[in-house]
Amino acid sequence: MLTLEALSFAVHGKVLLSSMTSIIPDNALTCLIGANGAGKTTLLRILTGELQATSGRFLIDHTDARSLSQSQIAHHFSIIPQDVQPPPHLTVLELVALGRFHPYGALWWRLSHRDHDIVDACLNLCQVDQLSERRVDQLSGGEQQRAWLAFGLAQEKRFLLLDETLGGLDVLAKQSFFKLLKQIASEGKGIVLTTHDLELVADYADRVVVLSHGRITYEGPPNAHLHNFLTSNGRQ
Amino acid sequence: MRRFSLVIAGLALILVLGALMGVALGPVKLDIHQVLSAILSGEDRMAHVVVWDLRLPRVAAALVVGACLGLAGCLLQSSTRNPLGDPQLFGLGGGAAVVQALAIAGLLGMGTWALLSLSVAASLVGAGAIALFASRQGISPARLALIGVSISALAAAAATGILAEARIFSSQSLYFIGGSFVNRGWQDLLPAVPFLGVGLLLALPVVGNLNVLGLGDRVAANLGAEPRRTRTIAIVSSGILGGAAVAVAGLVGFVGLLVPHLARLLVGHDFRRVFLVSIPLGAAFTLYADQAARLIFMPSEIPVGLVTAIVGAPLMIYVARRVL
Repeated sequence: MLTLEALSFAVHGKVLLSSMTSIIPDNALTCLIGANGAGKTTLLRILTGELQATSGRFLIDHTDARSLSQSQIAHHFSIIPQDVQPPPHLTVLELVALGRFHPYGALWWRLSHRDHDIVDACLNLCQVDQLSERRVDQLSGGEQQRAWLAFGLAQEKRFLLLDETLGGLDVLAKQSFFKLLKQIASEGKGIVLTTHDLELVADYADRVVVLSHGRITYEGPPNAHLHNFLTSNGRQ
Repeated sequence: MRRFSLVIAGLALILVLGALMGVALGPVKLDIHQVLSAILSGEDRMAHVVVWDLRLPRVAAALVVGACLGLAGCLLQSSTRNPLGDPQLFGLGGGAAVVQALAIAGLLGMGTWALLSLSVAASLVGAGAIALFASRQGISPARLALIGVSISALAAAAATGILAEARIFSSQSLYFIGGSFVNRGWQDLLPAVPFLGVGLLLALPVVGNLNVLGLGDRVAANLGAEPRRTRTIAIVSSGILGGAAVAVAGLVGFVGLLVPHLARLLVGHDFRRVFLVSIPLGAAFTLYADQAARLIFMPSEIPVGLVTAIVGAPLMIYVARRVL
């Protein structure tokens, strides 16, 4: 469980996140929604330790993240950033196998039998096992996202953070991706997704956190609030 | 793994054959018995002098410089995610070129060790600039290449200006700008060997991390690969290797650019294998290029950079069409 307690972040005097208090549970698909610049990506960067909150605190279970190094924080999260692009030569299998990368002894690092089993399981779960020998950059957008998802899952971390990874996908591909995320979350993974696809969020998210100008304006189950949000803000 | 072993074995064989050729062929031709006898016993005085004092140091210099350039290019390309990564093109050898030009012009009076150390230090200035720009978030590989090319052009202009001002228009100047191993003895080569060792040892701990740098800094950091530290170490190591190479042989082009791409064609994209293959491949490419530069127009010679460019350009075009 992740807990935000009056978390704020400012840079050069400009407040990007203001006094955020929230709980992000394990075993749930949590969607962060809000207009561009609302603070979604900044919040993810704080969760991964890339940025430090200027006030307030963020707890991983009951441990204050300020007492942890970035690499210790990284043990809890795998992240798929916005607009991530693989090197042009990489196959799906190679990408997912890199999820098992370990920095210590990296010169001699090889996949163990257990690593192979995990990689195979993630390829299967994300339905890219048939594409494992294909180059990632030659796949369709939906297939690429599934490959990246498998890469994130192969890291076997408790939380998976996806930062607007669905851009450019058609409706069916997005729907299928949300279904998959919901399934993975129900099997014990905490997933945090920033997105603008409000209808799919309404259908699939377990929790929704709405951000506006760096503040949380709503958190909870999606349906009731999203209806109001859609009608008051229009589709984003 | 089998392919990798075969490539390493093949390169070892090519290196041995090239070294034998380098020692045996020349204005004075030696057969294999004379070469072995000169190396092992020294009974044939003439052969001993030709082999030990003239040809072996030159062969060794080509091997060391080739290994330095191959490694430097390989580290630069992966750490900056840039297929144009090359110590010459990125200006890493630029500082060393200015120092060497000053030395040729007679403006720096110092011994070989001091001169080589100064060349490496000057090369690290260029490496520092590239590392600084490369560590900035959001800088694209293309912009980084433009910055490197600019540094390189500036250094080349300074080096040429120094030679012109000193009115050095001799073959010495030509050999420096085009790169050459003419008259390289042990005293020119031996100071470069520790720098090859330092560059290699410095890079070894980050070689594994370079595999995940291609996924972007945020993902690499999330995997624990410390992208900034990894990139800085790789570029500094590349600067040391590039500077040492320039100090020994002048501006030998194309080796650092081409070798990593050829290595990837041979052993795939695992950077650890590319790294290991780039060492013998760079050495072999430079050694054979030097043999051609030395023997084709015997008794006169052409700069080795001419050969690496003539052979390297079509190979690079092939690689660009096939892989990039």
